[in-house]
Amino acid sequence: MVTALRAGAGRRHGDARGASPGPGMGMPLDRIMNMGKGEAGVGSLAAEAPPLSTYFLDNGLEVVLSPERSSPTIGVGVFYRAGFRLEPEGRTGFAHLFEHLMFQGTSKVPKPHFGNLINSAGGLLNGFTRHDYTAYFEVLPSSALEMACYLEGDRMRFLDINDETLRNQVDVVKEEVRVNVLNQPYGGFSWLWLSQYAYSTFPNNHNYYGEFSDLEAATVEDAREFYRTWYGPGNATLVLVGDFDETVARELVQRHLGPVESRERPHHPTLDESLPQSRREFHHTDPLAPTPQVAVGYPTAPFGHQDHLPLALAARLLTDGASSRLQRALVQERQLLLHIGGGPHYPIGDSFEFAGPALFTFEATPRPGVSTDEAVSALDEELAKLADQGPSDPELERARRRELSAYHANNDSRLGRLRELGIMAAVHRAPQLVDELPERFSQVTPEDVARSVRSWLRQETSSVLHWECSGSGGPGR
Amino acid sequence: MNGQHQVPLLAEEVPKPHSVPPLHIGGVSRARLDNGVDLMVVRRPSVPRLEFRLTVPAGAALGPSAAVSELLAMGLPLGTASMDQAELSERIQDLGGSLQVHQDQDSLVVQAAALAEAEEDLYTLLAEVVQAPAFPAEDLATERAKLLEGLRMARATPHFPASEALQHAVYGDHPYGRPEPGDTAVRRTGRQALLDFHHQSFTPWAAQITVVGAVEQRRTVARLRRAFGDWSGPKRVVRAPRVRALPAGDLQFIERPGSVQTVVMSARSGPSHGHPDHVPLTLATAVLGGGFTSRMMNNLREDKGYTYSPHARLENHLRDGLATATMDVRNEVTGAAYAELLYELARLCTSEVPADELETTKSYLAGVRVIMLQTQAGLASSLAQIRVHGLDHHYLERYSKQLQSTTAGEVMQAARRYLAPTEVTTVMVGDPGASEGLAALGPVQVRRTTRVR
Repeated sequence: MVTALRAGAGRRHGDARGASPGPGMGMPLDRIMNMGKGEAGVGSLAAEAPPLSTYFLDNGLEVVLSPERSSPTIGVGVFYRAGFRLEPEGRTGFAHLFEHLMFQGTSKVPKPHFGNLINSAGGLLNGFTRHDYTAYFEVLPSSALEMACYLEGDRMRFLDINDETLRNQVDVVKEEVRVNVLNQPYGGFSWLWLSQYAYSTFPNNHNYYGEFSDLEAATVEDAREFYRTWYGPGNATLVLVGDFDETVARELVQRHLGPVESRERPHHPTLDESLPQSRREFHHTDPLAPTPQVAVGYPTAPFGHQDHLPLALAARLLTDGASSRLQRALVQERQLLLHIGGGPHYPIGDSFEFAGPALFTFEATPRPGVSTDEAVSALDEELAKLADQGPSDPELERARRRELSAYHANNDSRLGRLRELGIMAAVHRAPQLVDELPERFSQVTPEDVARSVRSWLRQETSSVLHWECSGSGGPGR
Repeated sequence: MNGQHQVPLLAEEVPKPHSVPPLHIGGVSRARLDNGVDLMVVRRPSVPRLEFRLTVPAGAALGPSAAVSELLAMGLPLGTASMDQAELSERIQDLGGSLQVHQDQDSLVVQAAALAEAEEDLYTLLAEVVQAPAFPAEDLATERAKLLEGLRMARATPHFPASEALQHAVYGDHPYGRPEPGDTAVRRTGRQALLDFHHQSFTPWAAQITVVGAVEQRRTVARLRRAFGDWSGPKRVVRAPRVRALPAGDLQFIERPGSVQTVVMSARSGPSHGHPDHVPLTLATAVLGGGFTSRMMNNLREDKGYTYSPHARLENHLRDGLATATMDVRNEVTGAAYAELLYELARLCTSEVPADELETTKSYLAGVRVIMLQTQAGLASSLAQIRVHGLDHHYLERYSKQLQSTTAGEVMQAARRYLAPTEVTTVMVGDPGASEGLAALGPVQVRRTTRVR
């Protein structure tokens, strides 16, 4: 079963949402190990949360500390508020390409010492680029805390950007795009392609992985400018979780990240765009795909809106597990689909990743003989039912418990806790919200869910992407 | 680069951590129920939840076909006589829980979790799922359709056919050589076949249960006894036959016209947990292609830019291990990348790994182990996996010492036995044009289709 896990549907059975590869520097995150978002768990809330404190260094760096000392490991992360959406025209894919350069050494710690130092300390490292942030992390034995602080401070100050490593990483990123998108059936389907059709402005609708011509055109000066503008301490959040003493950690952070010179805070461009007035249908042909699939995207409620949290619960009760509405109605009862998944920017996003517009996405595989149009009509009908009647109380309670489960599972994992805190801090300046979410979810009512579905999962604002197979006998035939 | 021409570290002031601390797994209780179920319960109250694993010998290598084993795994969440799949899913979610079933060559694993306060309810539910699955005909038909579709999609990738061909080349007619279901077998597998295989393999005499979480060990054992104590089944336990290593085969190049990369997979059957070569070979594969500092990473990615995620590792099956090295490379460098891979394999066999490189690899493997075992889920899965091999938590604790005491000479000897270019079998899947020049590196068999069956 060397590669069975890459194979898509049908390889893990039961109630679980699959992870998908997204732009990252090394292996896709789901292949590092199962340290990320887990399943299950419940209990009383705030009392269980590890301590949390947030402060700023003089240079503007936001620091989030959450000690938890039950095992001798730590997680260290730096989240920069720089993602796909601020790439300039002609430089698609640049945010992710730049992420690779952050592992290419500094004037003091040349390539490949960064990785060697982390690995020889017994640690893991990686990075990932998303719409509105880019994250770098290490998970290590506790005694490596000072080294990790040193190395993050070092690459925030002294990154060695040169033509040799840039050209090398352009080649590597092109191989990454080939392996994850161009050489795979359904490569990048809803997470990479749907937004290119659904949005109307460049920041939102360009190819985040990068056109090859743009990647090849990237220059050392572009990279230096990007680093100066977006990778200063005032545009970053440092997160430490795990086995450390808070006083010691504050000292080490000051010692190694305090000396980083402050830079001018960058101006983040406006991302908002007007909502479509009628459903739009798009067709994309994939010579590798053996059967058609379909994705539907709805512009969804922004962070802070009263409908934002109800929609997170709507995602759970619509698609999570064999008891969810869409699995039950469309897969089991009406037998129209073999698979359906959905949620905010499914399958690689979550409700809190976005500083601007976001899509609530469904992705479905119709049964043989069922058209993608029929699949979409059936989805429309089920959404209308939820919008009209709302969920039952037990149904909503199950969705809340699943959220609570995810919360506890995240707290059990260094990378899980680090990721939640880092995103909430860097994207929304609200790390404390991570521990408040279970309580906030408990206040959502069935009427909130019905209203949020009525307001946002609307046919007239949606974009439908029909993923068609060419039947041309492409690779594999 | 190849680790030979590194620029020295200029920053003398980089703070040095201590060595990786020894691993201690505390709070472990073991018990055996009268009906044979083997229990291991670990108290780890980091968060108020628990993880459950139950393994039985119902892997693909032990059933009438891989299709039966796979459909058995897909069939368990479909419910019991008293509840259909949606009701089962509701009841699991009411406990804040989850349920997944998966299988590999040797074992089928029932993987569940719940809030700690719902512990007893979870066991009651799982005992029913495990002992009395219903496999309702209509739902089973849907699962067959999902599996057929999943296989169609898998065959459209380059990796699945490469892996299938490679495992067949390495294991021949041994069941490990046919780990994936064929379409015909899927279509023919009915409810009765699942009931039969379930009856044979889901027996308390072969079942192992592992629980890790915010639990109190003695109470948990009592609860498991209440839930699983009445389970009965045959005492005869099926095991996979011994693996006889086949000689290395010719390079197989499977044509996939239009492919923009070539998948390169090399492998050889090797030792599994407990064998004296196991730790040295684990180190050799990690030096070759584990983590960001491996030789494949440094040479093929960070120096040449041929590939994104080259990697090598030793997979562990019950009857053997499988040492693999894998990479996806663009068409025009297929031959050059393969030549570099052969060079790295040969280098491992002909010169000892330098001390600092070996030390980094040992620390990396030991550290990753500590990190992986830090979560309830990671600890439960690792324990369940090694228990299938007849080992326990002490094996995990000793692992770091075993790594430390392994010498560069032992690593080289293990590489010679299992990773020599003359020992490994290679399969490639790619565009026909990419096979040009490969014949200069050894005999090549070209296959015109990705269809293995």
